[in-house]
Amino acid sequence: MSSWIAGLSWVTPLGSGVDSVWQRLLAGERPPLEKLQSEHSARSYLVHRVPGHASKNLPPHPRLRRASAISRFAAAAGLGAIADAAVTPDVERTAVVFAISNGGVIYTRRFYSEIVKAGAQSASPLLFPETVFNAPASHLAAILGICGASYTVVGDGAVGILALKLADDLLAAGEVDTCLVVAAEEIDSLVCEAYRQWRLLRNARAPESRRGMIVSEGAGAVLLSRNAGGCEIEKIDPGSNFFRRAEATGKLRRTLEGLEVETASFCIGSANGTFVDAAERSALGENVRVYYPKLALGDSIGASVLWQVIIAVQALRTRRLPESVEPVRGSRAIVLACGVNQQIGGLALCCEDEKYRSALS
Amino acid sequence: MNPQPKIARRVAITGAGVVSPLGFGLAETLESLRNGTDCVTPVTAFSVEKTRCKTAGQIPDSRLLEGRQSGRRDRRLHRASYMVIAALDELWSQTDGFKPGVVMVGTTSGGMTFGERFYRTLENGGCSASLIANYPPQKQIVDALEKFGLDAPAQVIANACASGTNAIGHAFSSIRAGQYQRVLAGGYDALSELVFVGFDSLQASTPEKCRPFDARRSGMVLGEGAALLALEELESAQRRGAEILAEIVGYGISTDNHHLTQPNPDGSGPRHAMEQALAGADLTPDQIGYINAHGTATAFNDAAEGKAIQQMFDGVPISSTKSMMGHSLGAAGAIEAIVGLLALQRQLLPPNINFREPDPELRLNIIANEARHAEFDCVLSNSFGFGGTNASIVLRKM
Repeated sequence: MSSWIAGLSWVTPLGSGVDSVWQRLLAGERPPLEKLQSEHSARSYLVHRVPGHASKNLPPHPRLRRASAISRFAAAAGLGAIADAAVTPDVERTAVVFAISNGGVIYTRRFYSEIVKAGAQSASPLLFPETVFNAPASHLAAILGICGASYTVVGDGAVGILALKLADDLLAAGEVDTCLVVAAEEIDSLVCEAYRQWRLLRNARAPESRRGMIVSEGAGAVLLSRNAGGCEIEKIDPGSNFFRRAEATGKLRRTLEGLEVETASFCIGSANGTFVDAAERSALGENVRVYYPKLALGDSIGASVLWQVIIAVQALRTRRLPESVEPVRGSRAIVLACGVNQQIGGLALCCEDEKYRSALS
Repeated sequence: MNPQPKIARRVAITGAGVVSPLGFGLAETLESLRNGTDCVTPVTAFSVEKTRCKTAGQIPDSRLLEGRQSGRRDRRLHRASYMVIAALDELWSQTDGFKPGVVMVGTTSGGMTFGERFYRTLENGGCSASLIANYPPQKQIVDALEKFGLDAPAQVIANACASGTNAIGHAFSSIRAGQYQRVLAGGYDALSELVFVGFDSLQASTPEKCRPFDARRSGMVLGEGAALLALEELESAQRRGAEILAEIVGYGISTDNHHLTQPNPDGSGPRHAMEQALAGADLTPDQIGYINAHGTATAFNDAAEGKAIQQMFDGVPISSTKSMMGHSLGAAGAIEAIVGLLALQRQLLPPNINFREPDPELRLNIIANEARHAEFDCVLSNSFGFGGTNASIVLRKM
């Protein structure tokens, strides 16, 4: 059983149109580095933020009135993927599957800050519901009127693979006909401080260094269908967990073998300037052509796998990869994900539909 | 469009492990259910001076950490990891040769207390990397799996209070459709200040006793715990000679778009989930012998759920065991699946304690205050959550 990508969309620090952001990536553009001020010290963090216009065209909906940035990014990407597929989803036979890592961290910090600083009696009942991991999925389901299955999967930077696997399983079991998979994340200084203390973050005083991650935000969405056509998700390996960083390379290698990396034209990796880089490079070896989008767009953690998938689809469609003049040959690609908190996974995409491929060539 | 795949595989429960305010393990849990023990106690983990609600179902650290925390890595583990380890310990002792292809678990807040401590440390100008490394919601299960040498991928479902039932239900569906042969499924959540204050701020929790379906119910109390089930394709389990504890035969999931935190008062969300679960099990409502209700004791939940139950069922015995242990959020559905399993095995109807006065709006057969004996083959277990997620599963006696 395979799933087919019927539509895709994203909200990124380079904007929100799939094709326009793709052209900017091909042209070697980078989103601006912004400094985000810590709430607790004089420290600042380097981040890539979504420009204000990227999620401005959302239709008015009461659920979005108080929603946090993560829900707005998710709604923009989800609605974009449906528009791209040019379908009206069957509200009972379409599932919503979300991938999230940090979730609604802005409201979570605000809510807990009220408890700590002003006491429990001052904590706002308006904020708390938005801190729940499945709030963005609930808002999007409400906007679309989806009344069937809705799942929010949480994990590290590899969580998108696990969400796509869940969606693929729902389709394979015949429980739904289409599945909207959305991954989203928002930036908050608390997240940056956490990664800094974890020694994963790029030093704001050495921005040109390739060491350390730059946190970014946004969302990615794909509409999966059981109807053949376009780009196929050929195989998903939900992977495994590495208990020590030294184990990551071996487990990535196992995933790559299972996905038959030797027959792929290229791999979209998840290197982000941390220990992940060495693990992935070592697992992939010298013979696989690789593009690392996190080094261009930043690491959007929970949203990153969906960006990787969209980049892989675009590369197969246009036969081009950023940072390279050599055309893409062949029709198979690998998306590899290694999170910073022990999760690993990957998937194989195949695009043999010449009409779909030539649409953007 | 491809035709819907033919579904033929049956799904067996071959192992179960639980830790909750009702007790450590199946035996203690059964004893508490039989006795209708009120396991809700004054909160000790954080200050409740400024909250309306002062109580919760809690697991004592003295027992949870007994014999643990030997090494440096152990000391970094979250309480929720210890709960999962305790549940896995019990499950492992029953299952010889159970190697899951995937782990599907539910949680709502993961390692939230570590996030809270991290924030407080920052406020005081401090630094603590280990708190943040062990905070993410998948970390508690991954750490527990490591203790048992399991590196199966962990699909962690965060569908609010329906998470545990969603995880078990999705595991059931995946095995039934042939995606996996064995799945470790369940849920976990540890009490946290942020979540406790959150429900208090919504005035969803009560300063009084938790009285599900009572006319004068005034809200929920929170709880905590972990529960895991070894789920396996029946023929495979029989081939390896595993003891079959029960079967899961149906699962339903629906999304109610009425409001982020309140169900549609017409009960359509819960009804849709229950109808799907029964249809998937090929059962009629009169074949259900016991319903373990979501029954949070909030005005809105019990009204919507009660309405859906009375529309579909005619006098089936119902209880909310949250009255005894509180609402353990992402773990609730998993713990209550084990309550359903024990009910089937012992032909016991667990009680809905603190019940005083029937709600005149609801015609329900509440198992009031004392456990009862009954003969039945099937149990329905409900879980509903924020975001409008509704989930129901059906268990059948083997």
